Parts: sequence; structure tokens; C-alpha cells
Amino acid sequence: MSPPLSRWLWHAVAVALLAALGSGLYLASKRIDYTWRWERIPQYLISTEGDDQKAPFDGFVAVSEDGKTLSMTALRGTETAQFTGFSMIIAGNGDLVFEGDVIAKTDAISAGPLLVGLWLTLKISALALVFALLLGLLIGLGRVSKNPAARDLAAFYVEVIRGTPLLVQIFIVYFFIGTVLQLSAFSAGVVALAVFTAAYVAEIVRAGIEAVPKGQTEAAQSVGLSGLQTMMYVILPQATRRILPPLAGQSINLIKDSSLVSVMALTDLTKAGREVVSSTFSPFEVWFVVALMYLLLTGVLSVAVRRLEQRYAVQG
Amino acid sequence: MNDANPVLIEAREIEKRYPNGVLGLKRASLSVKAGEVVVIVGPSGSGKSTLLRTFNGLESITGGEIVVDGHVLHQRSADLRALRQRVGMVFQQFNLFPHLTVLENLCLAPVKVLKLPATAADQRARELLAKVGLSSKCDCYPAQLSGGQQQRVAIARALAMQPAVILFDEPTSALDPEMVGEVLEVMKQLAIEGMTMCVVTHEMGFARAVADRVIFMDAGEILCEDAPDAFFGAPKHERLQSFLRQVL
Repeated sequence: MSPPLSRWLWHAVAVALLAALGSGLYLASKRIDYTWRWERIPQYLISTEGDDQKAPFDGFVAVSEDGKTLSMTALRGTETAQFTGFSMIIAGNGDLVFEGDVIAKTDAISAGPLLVGLWLTLKISALALVFALLLGLLIGLGRVSKNPAARDLAAFYVEVIRGTPLLVQIFIVYFFIGTVLQLSAFSAGVVALAVFTAAYVAEIVRAGIEAVPKGQTEAAQSVGLSGLQTMMYVILPQATRRILPPLAGQSINLIKDSSLVSVMALTDLTKAGREVVSSTFSPFEVWFVVALMYLLLTGVLSVAVRRLEQRYAVQG
Repeated sequence: MNDANPVLIEAREIEKRYPNGVLGLKRASLSVKAGEVVVIVGPSGSGKSTLLRTFNGLESITGGEIVVDGHVLHQRSADLRALRQRVGMVFQQFNLFPHLTVLENLCLAPVKVLKLPATAADQRARELLAKVGLSSKCDCYPAQLSGGQQQRVAIARALAMQPAVILFDEPTSALDPEMVGEVLEVMKQLAIEGMTMCVVTHEMGFARAVADRVIFMDAGEILCEDAPDAFFGAPKHERLQSFLRQVL
């Protein structure tokens, strides 16, 4: 059965309103003195600028006759080296070069700074998610534990983490814990995001467990299952289907929250955006593109979430 | 039933006081011998389910003592797990594990608790399902079964642990009327085979036909107990008389 005409009409109204908003923004931007330079953006996504071939030691350069091979002999010692597969020679035949000098360029297509930033965002989010799930499950179990000490500790953790801003936590992890434990910026980022997200995961886990009817625990215990067995074989399998959708939503939040790690010396998507802005002076275009890239990541995830929700809805 | 049979459940003056001070059970004493079928009746809120649930430690007690199959339950009870392996329980709401198939519902505890080999547990589960007339439903999930079928699975699940006694907590109260019969039939069969049973129910017909003793509770107290003929035919207690007038 196709939806009635009036529903399509309302969808059209929504599209029209969005279009009006968009053109309003466009007109507003016309009134300020800003030159749109979209053509500058692609090179920051995919870089055609090749890699540099650098001299590994101080020495003399020799170019073969066909121009396809570079060889070097060391200034001191007997070290030699050969290079092939480049597209442009920088050093000339017989030149004296020093370690680190660019002697040739390869013209490979490589990921631009924005894509590299996106990759770091993905990596840090994925790692943080894994740790957040483990930690969150543990703390969530602590929240519903019969042991008052476990309950107190878990409640304390959740209150402290949820009661302080993520940005402040990142500073504390980076400057304090990172210094004490000598964490790299990347590890500190993963730790900060995992610790933060775990508090929310814990609450999701707690809610999921508490939503399983009490009769299930009673039934499991009356057939002689231990507390741990009851949790593992009866409660958690049932809680999982309630936990999965909000958990996926929380991982979308994690991806967005990861933009805050750009305050550390980490070039994630947001930091990459900032760097590109400072070299292009095109903040509007860059930030729109960055937003779109985040939207792409979260969009893929939320489609996956919807699939999950539908699947579990069918099972009842 | 033989009077020389050992006592399986011995409750002595048990008391249940809720944290808000309300007394749920007042010095209730009851003993159940092996092979006996004891039916507990009474108005709702009279504490009959509470009493039943103290027998496997689902409900804690604040006074008195319960000895079930040699396990002593005090206020702070020690080994509930060992006790619960000997005491089966059938709930009003069935409480089958919805994420497991019927067969898995029956095999979970025998495999995990009794450490039975999977094949042995599987075979016993199939025998029990045949006994309750549900051989064809092995691979169904509980949600695919009717209420009566679910309750029969729940009885089979309790039997799978080979308990010394089974507690029935209003097993037919959540069922549509046409399904009550099939569940009572299974329970009747169990009674005939000599299973020790404690049944909280509103099914007076079942109590009259199957029970060895009927117990009447009101306001947390055991007011009287008698053989079914005397219980229904010549009720001694005044409160029981008015209760029976209402339900019969």
C-alpha cells in the first residue's frame, strides 16, 4: 500500500523549508565579503603531491644514463644506496647531499590531511569503543551488584565522569595522568574517550539488566544456577537486545566526542580541519566538508543501528 | 501415603517482617512429608505465596527455622544453591527463558549445575517433554507456545533437576480458562507418581481431588489444616467457612 498523497505533500513541505533555509544562508553569505574557493578543497582530501625520497646519509649522487636509477656513495665510509621508481629527480649528477635532503620525488596518489585525520578519528574512536564497552560492562555490573562496595564504586565512577565536562577530563588525562604514566597523546586520547564513554555504557548496561523481569532471576536461581551463571546464561543474553540500540547510539556520540581530542597534539579530523583552514584561509568550505565527513561516519553507523533495531523488534 | 515417610519440609514458627514493619508471616509452622501433596489456599494477600517462596529461599525469613531436605534455612542462610537443586519451582508467570528453545530451557540447569553431559541432558529433556505431551515443541521458543504449553514446559524444567519436592506458585492463575485443565492434568499425574508437591492455588477442585492435606492461610497465619474431605465438607474455622462460601 502506498502512502496517501497528503503525506507526500508534507514531505515536500519539509524539503521546501530546508531549501528556503539553505538559500537564506546562501544569500546571507553573499552580503559578507567572502570568496568561496571550493576548488581548493579536493587536494586536502586526496593529495597528488608525491612522497619525498630523502638521502639516508651524507654522500654523492650519481644518476644512471637512462635517468631511472639514482645511486649514492657515502662521503665517509663505504655505504652505498640505490633508488628507483621515482618520477622526478631533484639532485643532479655528482651533487653532494646531506642526510635528509630531498633527492627525488615519487608521484603516488596519497590521502590528504583531511582523510588522514578521518582515519585517526576512526582509529581512536574504534579503540576507545572497545575499551569503553569492556569497562562499561564491568561498571554496569557493579551498579547492579549485590555487593555494596561494588555498587558504591560504580556509582561514584558514573557520577564523577558524568558530572564533569569531557574537555576537562581530556586535559586531566593528557596533562596529569599522561605525564605520570608517560602516555603518548594517542593513548591519552583513547583513555580519555574510553573512560568518559564507559560511564554512559555502564548506565545503558544497568538499565538493560534492570529491564529483564525479576522472575527470570528467580527462575534461574530456583533451578540452582549461581549468581554468575544466572547473569551469563539468563540475564545478559536477554539484556543484550535491549542494550544494543542505545549502545550503538552511544558509539555515534563517541565519534562526535572524539573531535575534542584535537586539543591534544593529535591530528584527528577536527585538528586536520583547523590546519587546512590556516593554510587555505577558507574556513567556511573546510568546516562544511569536515562536518560532512563526520556526518558520513555517523550516518553509516546509524543506518546500522536502525537495522539492528528492526531485527530485534521482530524477535520481540 | 505412608506416615513413615521422611519429612522433607519442616517449617517451625517462621516469621517474615518486611523492612516497613509489616508482618507477612506470623509464626507459621508446617511440615511436608515425602510423597505428600499439600495445597495452600486463602484470600489474596494472605501470605500463601510468601510462605511457599520461603521454602527455596526466594523469600528471606526474619524468624524461625526451615529445614528442607536436610538443609537448614535460618535468617542468614548458607548454601541456597545446594538447597535449590533439590527444590523445584513453578511460577504463576511461567518465567521460561525466552531466549532459549524449549529444549534448551530444560537442559540449561542440568548441564551447568549438575554437570550432566549434553547428550544425557538432552535425552532426559526429551523424555520429560514427552511426559508433559510436548514432544513436538522441542525446538520452539516459549513465545511460540500457548500459556498452558508454557506452564507444562516450566513443570518439565523443574522436573529436569530431579528435585525432591516441587513448589507450585499459583500455576494456573495466569492461564486462560480453557488451558487450566491441561496443566492440572500434568500436576495430577505427578501426584499419582508420588512426587512431593506444595501447591498454592485457587483451584478448589484440584485441592479436593489431589491434595493429601489442605491448608488455609489468612493475614499471614496458618489458620487450619485438614484432609480435603473434612476441609471442604466440614470446615472448622469460621474464617475458612466464609472464605469457602465466597469461592465455591
